[in-house]
Amino acid sequence: MGIQEQYRKEAAELLSSGEVKLVIGYGEGSTAERRRPVFVRSAEYVSRLVLDGSCVANLSSYLVPEGLLSDGKKVAVFLKPDGIRSINILAAESQLDPEQVVILGFDIEGGQAAPLPGRKASDFTALIGSLKSAGLSPELQKDADRLEQMSASERFGYWKEQFSKCIKCYACRQVCPMCYCRRCIVDVNQPQWINTSSHTLGNFEWNIIRAFHLAGRCVSCGGCDRSCPVNIPLRLINHRMAKEALDTFGHYAGESAEQQPVLATFRQEDPETFIL
Amino acid sequence: MAKIGVFVCHCGENIASMVDTAKLTATIADHPGVTVSSEYKYFCSDPGQETVKKAIRENGLTGVVVAACSPRMHEQTFRKACAEAGLNPYMLELANIREQCSWVHTDRDEATEKAIEITRSLVEKVKRNNDLKPISVPVTRRAMVIGGGVAGIQAAIDIASAGREVVLVEREPSIGGHMAQLSETFPTLDCSQCILTPRMVEALQHPNITMMTYSEVEEVDGYIGNFTVKVRRKARYVRMETCTGCGDCIQKCPVKKIPSDFECGLGNRTAIYTPFAQAVPNVPVIDRTRCTYFKNGKCKICQKTCQIDSIDFDQQDRIETVEVGAIVVATGFQVQNTAIYGEYGYGRYKDVVTGLHFERLASASGPTAGKILRPSDGKEPETVVFIQCAGSRDAAKGVKYCSKICCMYTAKHAMLYAHKVHHGNSQIFYMDIRAAGKGYDEFTRRAIEEDEAGYIRGRVSRVFEENGKLIVRGADTLLGRPVEVVADMVVLATAMVPQPDAKDFAKRIGIGYDEYGFFNEAHLKLRPVETATAGIYLCGACQSPKDIPDSVAQASAAAAKVLGLFSKEQLEREPVIASVTDATCAGCWGCVIACPYNAIDRKDITDRNGNVVKRVASVNPGLCQGCGTCVTFCRSNSIDLAGFTEKQIFAEVMAL
Amino acid sequence: MSEPFEPKIVAFVCTYCTYAGADLAGTSRMKYASNVRIVRLPCTGRISPMFILKALQKGADGVLVSGCHPGDCHFAQGNYHARRRWTVFRALLAFTGIPEERIKFSWISAAEGAKFTELINGITGQIRTLGPFEQYQELQKVIETQSTY
Repeated sequence: MGIQEQYRKEAAELLSSGEVKLVIGYGEGSTAERRRPVFVRSAEYVSRLVLDGSCVANLSSYLVPEGLLSDGKKVAVFLKPDGIRSINILAAESQLDPEQVVILGFDIEGGQAAPLPGRKASDFTALIGSLKSAGLSPELQKDADRLEQMSASERFGYWKEQFSKCIKCYACRQVCPMCYCRRCIVDVNQPQWINTSSHTLGNFEWNIIRAFHLAGRCVSCGGCDRSCPVNIPLRLINHRMAKEALDTFGHYAGESAEQQPVLATFRQEDPETFIL
Repeated sequence: MAKIGVFVCHCGENIASMVDTAKLTATIADHPGVTVSSEYKYFCSDPGQETVKKAIRENGLTGVVVAACSPRMHEQTFRKACAEAGLNPYMLELANIREQCSWVHTDRDEATEKAIEITRSLVEKVKRNNDLKPISVPVTRRAMVIGGGVAGIQAAIDIASAGREVVLVEREPSIGGHMAQLSETFPTLDCSQCILTPRMVEALQHPNITMMTYSEVEEVDGYIGNFTVKVRRKARYVRMETCTGCGDCIQKCPVKKIPSDFECGLGNRTAIYTPFAQAVPNVPVIDRTRCTYFKNGKCKICQKTCQIDSIDFDQQDRIETVEVGAIVVATGFQVQNTAIYGEYGYGRYKDVVTGLHFERLASASGPTAGKILRPSDGKEPETVVFIQCAGSRDAAKGVKYCSKICCMYTAKHAMLYAHKVHHGNSQIFYMDIRAAGKGYDEFTRRAIEEDEAGYIRGRVSRVFEENGKLIVRGADTLLGRPVEVVADMVVLATAMVPQPDAKDFAKRIGIGYDEYGFFNEAHLKLRPVETATAGIYLCGACQSPKDIPDSVAQASAAAAKVLGLFSKEQLEREPVIASVTDATCAGCWGCVIACPYNAIDRKDITDRNGNVVKRVASVNPGLCQGCGTCVTFCRSNSIDLAGFTEKQIFAEVMAL
Repeated sequence: MSEPFEPKIVAFVCTYCTYAGADLAGTSRMKYASNVRIVRLPCTGRISPMFILKALQKGADGVLVSGCHPGDCHFAQGNYHARRRWTVFRALLAFTGIPEERIKFSWISAAEGAKFTELINGITGQIRTLGPFEQYQELQKVIETQSTY
């Protein structure tokens, strides 16, 4: 039995036994290689679930909308390791109860979906630990290195060009599981910290502050990159923040549901070589 | 509409000589929202303040900027003036054009330009200031003292004698602390028990003191004036209400060979016991880990012996909740475990003991009835070597600080030894003799000159046994040569260290601690008995190593602070505190974790039927100190800080 | 030749240490460059990264953020929290091409009037050499042209 059949069967069992009220998974998209989220409430529809190498989106963001989990019932969700880390962060930030999330875990290896054993976020602790040891994405780091070798002025020029494309559609915010605030800082107008029109200064401010808010929280699922209609390499800037959190504070986002936020804690011996 | 008054002060020539005040006044007069702009020689003078007040009244000003000196200098002066003129005192800002402008610059044009910018940005800020009212907090005028050593006893008696209720909590079965273990005390050599026990009894009998012995503080909630403390009253298995302290049960208890902590293991106790004969309260406890009945279900000899049926094997720990307005922490210290000094043979050689052991040997009520007898064979030692700084001032052993009391008690030990063993020879290895204190240097001189204590300046490298003697090998750094002393007994002047659970305790009650675990005072020099948490005070060796006089002095100081707090029914606090916008709070609790004062709680928002619809952060105005750390953390911008609101700072920066 | 460039520097400081240190520089009549504008806040914990961006928007060529030395914070921990934020925000600014030389962080106690003086003079001199932060201010110009249509 292939992984898709196996997981469809599991989804059907979870639904018909009443263990979960909903399964969030992937379905056919508008093109052969695209997947879109599907929400299955009854075992008879599990055939709509697709699981293959194209299932890349981090579906954890669909758990956050207000009210979904407030009845205390469980929801099953298809998650890759990045999504499982997101569950841990959301739990650590009290946005959901991890006991309510049944994980249908998988990973993509060589373009194929492969099952991951475990049901609860805490079952994946060892896996996440090994991901932490393996370090952050070398591909992203290569891009980051390329930028860091530039002069500040060239780098500024690069980002100015990138951010000048931003149309403030907020797709990056919409897709991000970490952007669960009911009111985003960009929507604050008393005072108007961030210029909202789509000119470069405001875009600069918006993207910088979003990256700052994701520091130590981004799991590099790449949702922002994929959703950006003007192809700003948002994941790269978030990667740089993840690197800072890991290198300087040993903080790897989503290690556990008890992890404390990197910017709400400190150690007296935190490095401070840059402080005069 | 904002009506702002700007008052430019010359400060004599202090400002006017470097800032063109006329230009500043004129430029600001044109700034939107500025109704009055005037200059004067000294606005802080009475006529100056009158001018401000008159301008407020006549023009109905909504805000005032005084361009003058630092707010650290005259903010209070002008706040008062505003209040007297009917304007909320927090509708005032001081533009610092003296300390941070006229006094530090040398170019009049540049200084004037800067003064204009400073003033303008504060006009923009003050336009967004809000009326604030000092926060009034009711005060529960009852104090809790945690720790029943000499410091805690002193603080409790002082507060109680001034007419306020005190709850004195002690985790051991008796109050008394380390002082009860001491033989005689420097620099007067009065017997420790003789001066302490009357105080212990006074505390017990004081009508305003409720004593909770064999009890531990589990949790502290609340804030200055309004603490709720949960105290675990550990089961004694003896009824406090009826026990007369006759001691029959202790006599009859069959488990007799338990090393007594109070005697530092040099003597024994029974399973039902009081730590020492003069214990207060004189009510025994049953050590359930050693009691035959608790272990095997059989015995109950104590119960049978007790003529008033005060033994109760069914007692359970219970949690008692106490409401208090102030807390004095006097949890004391421990003696460092000298096992880390393998080279000194502690634990290996019975006759290598700590200073506290020696106290028990020298104590008339101790295991040897005050005779100095060495533990191994009970013989009187002919030669005793004392090693000072055994742990203290030794970064390699984790204690960088000076334990402060060891020079004195070692001199005392040498004296006591000389008085008790007339032919005895004492040799003291020391690094420095630190004898600062009233009568202290005289005391150490007496040890040297009258009681013939030999002082050798240098460190001991090794202690080892040879032919039944302890060989102490070290260096005499004054003579620059190695020394070896053949001794019968070695006394280590061990370091004073924090209680092993000090850090956990500090976290539990919400106070800070240093790298070792000593509790942090709010300011080392100016607020030595306060902690950074308002309403919690410190005294005694829990803050740093201290001797008895210092501990007692600090205890009285802490008591004075508590009584000052209790002098009013209401406490007024600066209204510069944070508050949360319920509608936008996402409930991530980052602020709760970040707050240095544990001032942020979770609050349920309910609908009209009482169903919880969401949970949001909520700032406790009694605990918040107004640092604004939470405001900066909050991603959804749902927290703000009165007096330094987002709107105010935004306007201030955008006007620069 | 045009006049020599005089940078605009905005300092965000806590009231208990650095602001008091700046006052001390004043009462000691030390002299420093007049380019700095000080914004007083209760604690470094209150200093938001947004403040720095707004200062840059308003034409600051350099920004100083300063507070109490570790262990000395009036609010016990505010500066430790601030230090973490600075570490992260500083990396972010550097990555987006805002020169590190323009955004400085320091600990200045209430007793360090001399340090405050030296630092302000040092930073002012350094930024004079760097020149105006035109790149950032050009982002602003885009606004002005765009908002006039």
